[in-house]
Amino acid sequence: MWNEIWNLAFFTAFFSASVRLAVPLAYAALGEMVSQKAGILNIGLEANMLSGAFMGFAVTYWTGSLLLGFLAGMTTGACFSLLHAFFSIYLRQNQNVIGTALNLFVLGLTSYLFQVIVNQASGAYPQVDILPTIPIPLLTNLPLVGDALFNKDIITYLLYILIVALVWFLNRTMWGLSLVSIGENPRAADTVGLPVFRIKYLAALFNGLMGGLGGAYLVLGQLGVFSENVTSGRGYIALSLVVFGRRKPVGICLAALFMGAANALQFRMQALGVDMPVQMFTGLPYVLTVIVLIISAVKRTDADPAALGKPYVRTMR
Amino acid sequence: MDVKRKAIFTLARVVAVLLLSTVLILLSGADPIRALQAFLSGIFGSAHGFTEVFVRATPLIFLGLGVAITFRTGFFNLGAEGQLYMGALASTAVVLLLPASWGSLRLPIALVSAFLAGGIWVLFPAWMKSRLGISETVNTIMFNYIAIMLVGICIRTFLQEPGSTLPQTAIIPEDCILPLLLYPTRFHAGTILSLVAAVLAWFFLCRTTTGFEMQMVGMNKRAALCTGLSVPKSLLLSAVIGGGLAGLAGFNEVFGVQHRLLEGVSGGNGYTAILVALLALNHPLRVVLMSVGLAALQVGAATMQRTLGIPNSIVSIIIGFIVLMILCGSLPEILEENHPILRKRKENIRHVE
Amino acid sequence: MHGIVKDFPGLRAVDHVDLQVEEGEIHALLGENGAGKTTLMNILYGLYRADEGQIFWKDEPVDVSCPSEAIRLGIGMVHQHFMLVRKMTALENILLGMRPEGYPIIRRQEQLQQADILCQKYGLKVNLRQRVDTLSVGEQQRVEILKALFRDAKVLVLDEPTSVLTPQETQEFFQILRVLRDEGHSIILIAHNLSEILSISDRVSVLRDGKKVCTIKTSSTNERELSRYMIGRDFLASNFYREATDQSREILRFQNISLHNSEGVSLLRDVCLCVHSGEILGIAGIDGNGQTELAEVLMGIRRQSGGDILLDGQSLGRWSVRRRWEAGLAYIPADRHQDGLIMDADVKDNTALRTYYQPPLSRTHILQPSQMRDQAAALTEDYQVKTPSVATQVRLLSGGNQQKLILARELQSKGNLLVACQPTRGLDIGAAEYLHTRLMDRRNQGRSVLLISTDLGEILALSDRIAVICSGKIMGVVPNTPDLSAELLGLMMGGSTLEEAKGWM
Repeated sequence: MWNEIWNLAFFTAFFSASVRLAVPLAYAALGEMVSQKAGILNIGLEANMLSGAFMGFAVTYWTGSLLLGFLAGMTTGACFSLLHAFFSIYLRQNQNVIGTALNLFVLGLTSYLFQVIVNQASGAYPQVDILPTIPIPLLTNLPLVGDALFNKDIITYLLYILIVALVWFLNRTMWGLSLVSIGENPRAADTVGLPVFRIKYLAALFNGLMGGLGGAYLVLGQLGVFSENVTSGRGYIALSLVVFGRRKPVGICLAALFMGAANALQFRMQALGVDMPVQMFTGLPYVLTVIVLIISAVKRTDADPAALGKPYVRTMR
Repeated sequence: MDVKRKAIFTLARVVAVLLLSTVLILLSGADPIRALQAFLSGIFGSAHGFTEVFVRATPLIFLGLGVAITFRTGFFNLGAEGQLYMGALASTAVVLLLPASWGSLRLPIALVSAFLAGGIWVLFPAWMKSRLGISETVNTIMFNYIAIMLVGICIRTFLQEPGSTLPQTAIIPEDCILPLLLYPTRFHAGTILSLVAAVLAWFFLCRTTTGFEMQMVGMNKRAALCTGLSVPKSLLLSAVIGGGLAGLAGFNEVFGVQHRLLEGVSGGNGYTAILVALLALNHPLRVVLMSVGLAALQVGAATMQRTLGIPNSIVSIIIGFIVLMILCGSLPEILEENHPILRKRKENIRHVE
Repeated sequence: MHGIVKDFPGLRAVDHVDLQVEEGEIHALLGENGAGKTTLMNILYGLYRADEGQIFWKDEPVDVSCPSEAIRLGIGMVHQHFMLVRKMTALENILLGMRPEGYPIIRRQEQLQQADILCQKYGLKVNLRQRVDTLSVGEQQRVEILKALFRDAKVLVLDEPTSVLTPQETQEFFQILRVLRDEGHSIILIAHNLSEILSISDRVSVLRDGKKVCTIKTSSTNERELSRYMIGRDFLASNFYREATDQSREILRFQNISLHNSEGVSLLRDVCLCVHSGEILGIAGIDGNGQTELAEVLMGIRRQSGGDILLDGQSLGRWSVRRRWEAGLAYIPADRHQDGLIMDADVKDNTALRTYYQPPLSRTHILQPSQMRDQAAALTEDYQVKTPSVATQVRLLSGGNQQKLILARELQSKGNLLVACQPTRGLDIGAAEYLHTRLMDRRNQGRSVLLISTDLGEILALSDRIAVICSGKIMGVVPNTPDLSAELLGLMMGGSTLEEAKGWM
């Protein structure tokens, strides 16, 4: 059995699967990272992803256009994220309750609408063609990682660009500085004239777009079909990745890759009929997340943004 | 805001919920009147349907109570799901591992161990909050997944049904299951237990000094500290009791309904319970009311699906929507606060009167 | 600023104030608590909107509607509580909200050089690359000043800047201010320390009860005059009935109490005080000079860093809040909404907060709701708390009734000492008078009251002896005799010791 595992082909396939599983998680987690940096903790990430997955699928199914599907998925995710933002920023409600309610609402809504589509499709299970892979010449031929990183689709490549862009955005631009200040000390940001509420809504918008994209990609880039609760808790996983990756773009992507690897390993082991409880691998990232939480609390550095989850109320004028 | 405005606003929200339900039923191609008939007959039409409401309400009652008690002290426990899993795991393990000669004595032991397991499970994040200041939001969700992982491992290893390859435990011995009270329906003694738990929880919270402390701490930690109440004690104790109650939900599902431990024993009820607690304003007796209400929605919708093909997912849509409508409650006040014109106009009107 | 008016609900915080600040001067703004200094400056900085009046900038009328407008005009403000993002570096904090060259890209090297030039010009020593939460308080303040200077602020508003500094840091800080003035900047300094004002400012404006009293040249005035302007009124001799009480017994003694916060700043320095039986000891002082901290250390809400407290000769050591209550300490906190009451709970629960665990309110851990109701009803009647019922949320009561409720709860104590912090702040006259009478009754019964208040009138009307606290230090204790002058107290509140103050009188 171990011989089957310790060979190049296994690792090539394993790495490739890891990256594949990591991509939707990474998108959603990067969106949530931006949102949390602006002080909004959105548990409704699952709602963003699931609605994006459904709308992306539905629009592609009707129009045949993957591009329109992705756009629709992102827009829908953004709608729910902005709804969360409206309830938390304007109505100052508890962010956790809003998120939980939205998750349930979207779970019901997508299942319901999907059922309506299936009923109309009269028998044939609705299906779409998935994104084509675009191998990048030369790089694809690299041993081990070539196939995993460079024999993928356009959305995966866009993720690479997004990571670089986010690193640049957070470390090199005034915008990144403003974003961080909103989550840390909104009053200070207000006194230097930053538009606190607008930035919060923008962060929520980005979160929704990315969550929707991650969800849509899951269906349009990998599965080709929608099913009830297709995201099955990936939103919560992404939430843990934000903490696990310590709210840094590269950290989050490594965390996502780790999560993807854990899942991929579980599938491989199951396929090989390995006789051991493979849940260990998928559960490990959560344990590590808790450990990260403890470490950052003890070290008192890189802890949560100081104003995370708190509504900002301007003093009366 | 005056009473009249408030009433109109509430009415508008109720109408919105009814309107949404009607639209959803129409969209799926069914006649709303017939749907309503099917809905009611599903609940009241048969003994099976009526008792099924309580079978489904029972885990929600346990979980809702657990969440409500922790919310009352200001501990935002999103981990009811995981506490349920740990309760189910511990009670199943106890019964399956204890010698058969202990007979039905194993049932109360299982109950206690479910309570303890749920309580200990929430103790980790609660302690991390009170000692290290770690926010419970993400943390409790992590503990949910860790609990699910533990159950997954256990039912594939030492708790796996002998000779089976499925991830499930053996069936609970006959003398340890919660007795069925209205055979052939699934109505079992767990429901009675949940009602007893609700009354006890109410008594504890509203009639004992410890419960009083918890409520005061939940409303204002600082004032509680200044008048000599122990904040960490209240926080940890409420977490343990809340977790224990959620653990009992796991016990209830295994010993009352499924009679073995499977993956997905909760079905997401741990998250629905958060909304139940919100709808019940964290009051134990109202938790019972809301749980039964939600369960009735589910049972009625199941019948609508069977007879008219209306997807039963509309239950989730409607519950989610109701909660969103309730969260809208602060809208008029905030509108007035942000747009003084609204307030002034109202004052003028009063002036004219 | 001309004819500025600002109303808060039920209170006129600023009442037709004119203020003129010249180029290149240090203009001090002096006044007691609630005189309207900070409110006035918040209007200038666009954080509040004035209800009446007009701001002129270089003779042009301007509308300062938000901080960014103030920044654009060249007004910078350093708040008493710094507006810094603790997890960012000093440089990042300075740049935040600006559109420096190269926007939106940060050119750290260039900006660093520019900021360094400013630092050198004004003698501001800060390591700009360091994270703010690792900087000392003095350095953080310099970052705040740099923040304003980097935005080309011509007018710099500083709200109580020296309250967080050590004497050495204060001297350094004044040096910086002088350099700034010499470079043509105008500085508005909100302050209450008289000797500091005299040593640094060019002119002083005194505010009292929201109105401006006067603006005078610093060189033509002295501590005594300023103190009189600040306090300003003659207090009527108190008309309370004062029984001769036995004041021989010592009830409470603070022994060298000191307290530091987590950043090592001294909040209380070597406080030694004692309270006798049958007396009201008043502690006077400007807000934020350690009064609240002193009360909280006494009640066990905070742990002192050093020293000990003796109650009836017995050391309180590390006793819990409850044990101190049981030993006879009752407490009216300064912040009644946060510390004193649970606003979302009802009257009955709030009156039971101290005693719910004892009979008759509970037996063997079981609450007795009817007893709780009866007790609440009896207490609300005794103390004239107007409430629809004992099941009414405390949030819905008026401020006066809320305070009476706290009084009712705390005076259940059988003990000998009541600590009352700002007992009448924000109350209407009727409620305030009622509270004063109750405190006096308590004294006349031979028990003691530690009265902590920033309202000098209250202190003078009630106290047998008066201690003055400034920067966490007791400046002196004087008996409250008819010939005691408010100016003397004003001098001590402004940071002079009793001996120095007497010397100036």
